[in-house]
Amino acid sequence: MIPWRAALFSGLLLAAAPVCAHETAGKNGGRVTDAGKYHVELVAKGQTVDVYLLDGSEKPLPASGFKASAILIEGGKPARVALTPVDGNRLTGTSEVPLSTAPKGAVQLTAPDGTTASGKFN
Amino acid sequence: MTAALRALAVTLALLGAGSALAHEGHDHGAAPPPVTKSIAPRGEAASAAFELVAVPREGTLTLYLDRFQTGAPIANATLTVETPTGPVTAQAAEPGIYRLPAPWLSKPGHHDLLVTVTAGSDLDVLPVALDLSDPAAAAPASVPATQAISATVTQALPALTHDLKTRVSQADPVLLTVAGGSFLLGLLVMLALRGGRRVPVVAALAITATLLLSATAFAHGGEDHGADEKPVQGAALVQPAPGAAPTDLAQRLPDGSVFVPKPTQHLLGLRTVMTEVGTFHRTIGLPGRIIPNPNASGVVQSSVGGRLSPPPSGQFPRLGTPVTKGDVLAYVTPPVARVDISDMRQTQGQLDQQIATVQRRVERYAKLATTGAVAQVQLDEAQDELKGLKDRRAALDKIRMEPEALVAPVSGVIAEASAIAGQMAAAGQMVFQIVDPKTLWVEALSFDALGGAENATARLADGRTLALTYRGSGLADRNQAIPVQFAISGDTNGLRVGQFVTVQAATNTELQGLALPRAAVVRTGNGQDVVYEHTSAERYAARQVRVTPLDGNRVLVAVGIGAGKRVVTQGAELLDQVR
Repeated sequence: MIPWRAALFSGLLLAAAPVCAHETAGKNGGRVTDAGKYHVELVAKGQTVDVYLLDGSEKPLPASGFKASAILIEGGKPARVALTPVDGNRLTGTSEVPLSTAPKGAVQLTAPDGTTASGKFN
Repeated sequence: MTAALRALAVTLALLGAGSALAHEGHDHGAAPPPVTKSIAPRGEAASAAFELVAVPREGTLTLYLDRFQTGAPIANATLTVETPTGPVTAQAAEPGIYRLPAPWLSKPGHHDLLVTVTAGSDLDVLPVALDLSDPAAAAPASVPATQAISATVTQALPALTHDLKTRVSQADPVLLTVAGGSFLLGLLVMLALRGGRRVPVVAALAITATLLLSATAFAHGGEDHGADEKPVQGAALVQPAPGAAPTDLAQRLPDGSVFVPKPTQHLLGLRTVMTEVGTFHRTIGLPGRIIPNPNASGVVQSSVGGRLSPPPSGQFPRLGTPVTKGDVLAYVTPPVARVDISDMRQTQGQLDQQIATVQRRVERYAKLATTGAVAQVQLDEAQDELKGLKDRRAALDKIRMEPEALVAPVSGVIAEASAIAGQMAAAGQMVFQIVDPKTLWVEALSFDALGGAENATARLADGRTLALTYRGSGLADRNQAIPVQFAISGDTNGLRVGQFVTVQAATNTELQGLALPRAAVVRTGNGQDVVYEHTSAERYAARQVRVTPLDGNRVLVAVGIGAGKRVVTQGAELLDQVR
């Protein structure tokens, strides 16, 4: 009887946990949000914009083959940043203007199969 | 057996957890599936400032941009959409509507748009998800058979039980016949079995009869149920004519909410307001009527009885004629009695005689005074006497000739006029009433002393409201109530003296709740009060509320809707008409 109860309990816990997972702090010091079936972590530092690609359970996904673009609002103007995969699950790009640490904006992902997904950062 | 069960349960629980994790709830559900097949696929997004709906149609992407809180269309905004060929700016077509050629949206599937919206100082990036279905895949034949069967079973089972329940409760004759028939047949079968002879024949007969009877019963039930369920199912599965573009029509959905596409929202002029909880003073309604301002109105009365005659212009002022203070409105000529006339004639003759005598004396004295035969004093005395007599004679003439002028005591408009040329006016009779229509007051009857009566409003029968300023209340009872006077502080155009109004005056009692404009609350067909909540970009849901009047144009929602919701304040009546 114990595994039955334990399994139910753990299942409930697991199901309840992600409800408070909206725009959380990421492992690389950025913010994590949903983008379709993926999760993305956005790290902006100076002119460099890094986006880490994660799956639904926050595990890193290899970024090769993905394309991404970020539109970040800085000083009342949108800044467009094209992102290209570099290593592991990281895509990077350079902004024309220096960015604050937590800019508002959105990231659009294009998967290798052509499907798109976007995530919003407030 | 138990072990297998356990294993199954554990697997199921884990699977459920896994799917929950992968799915994550929030944000994913931003774009609800198309409500019916007759509505074109669309995507929507919202931020604190904007609400955006994107509708692709025939190679063109139409973007509708509204304010999130009010629902007002935003003109002169810049919308930049990230397309496969780079960022493209949409062209403004109408206020709040922007268009963009989008041939890349013609292929079915999931599309993610990133729209950068700049309107004034507001700037936002809005991701919009579009799910375009393949017209070929949407054909009814493509529905998998298993899914269809399971759907039928799930629909039929509760329907069957529900049907049976209602039939039992209503003592349905068909059901009773079936039950009774089955019982009789059972008896027959038992008898036949006991007899041991002709078993197959009787049994076959019994089974056939039972089957037939129950078949009719269920066929009947199915019919009934179908009639109940048909409109809902029909509405949800309307198939557009092949090749025709879906037409977006406002419609009431099976769940009771109302789908209103953006163009219709703009047409109906729907506006919303964000609800917030506040503290308000309870108000009471008092019957009142409009009175002229006592300091800016006046009456014109004749002090003597006499004949009325028009002023120098030759025309009596008519109703509505503006007059200024000091204007002569009419003359009253007091009549002179016959006996008075003879008296006056007598006095006149005497005076004329005396004047003639004194005149001659004055002339004589004037000649003699130069020679010194008459003292200068005597001449002066005679001259004074003559002057006095002439004055008396002149006054006598004047009294006979001069009427009394009726003068406007204040500036304003003639509100009442009863003057006719030649009419005899009695002393003290009101000939004209002058009212200044720019300053009117309201007099209300209150049954208890008002505390914070300073902020009061008056509502007219046509729904207009007037802001009032407290002026004072009497202490003397009038019909067991106290008269309270207010000055109308706004525009008094179109009001008339004596018009009835309902005065809403604040009391000291404080109330907590959501204040909404009166127009936001709609009385539905069954007599309930509802407000329409703007739940998503193109959906409105009716929420039943309990309201108490707050003041002339607002009501207080006590129960039914919480704070931070968008409630339709303009066009709610029109929204209620959507079927």
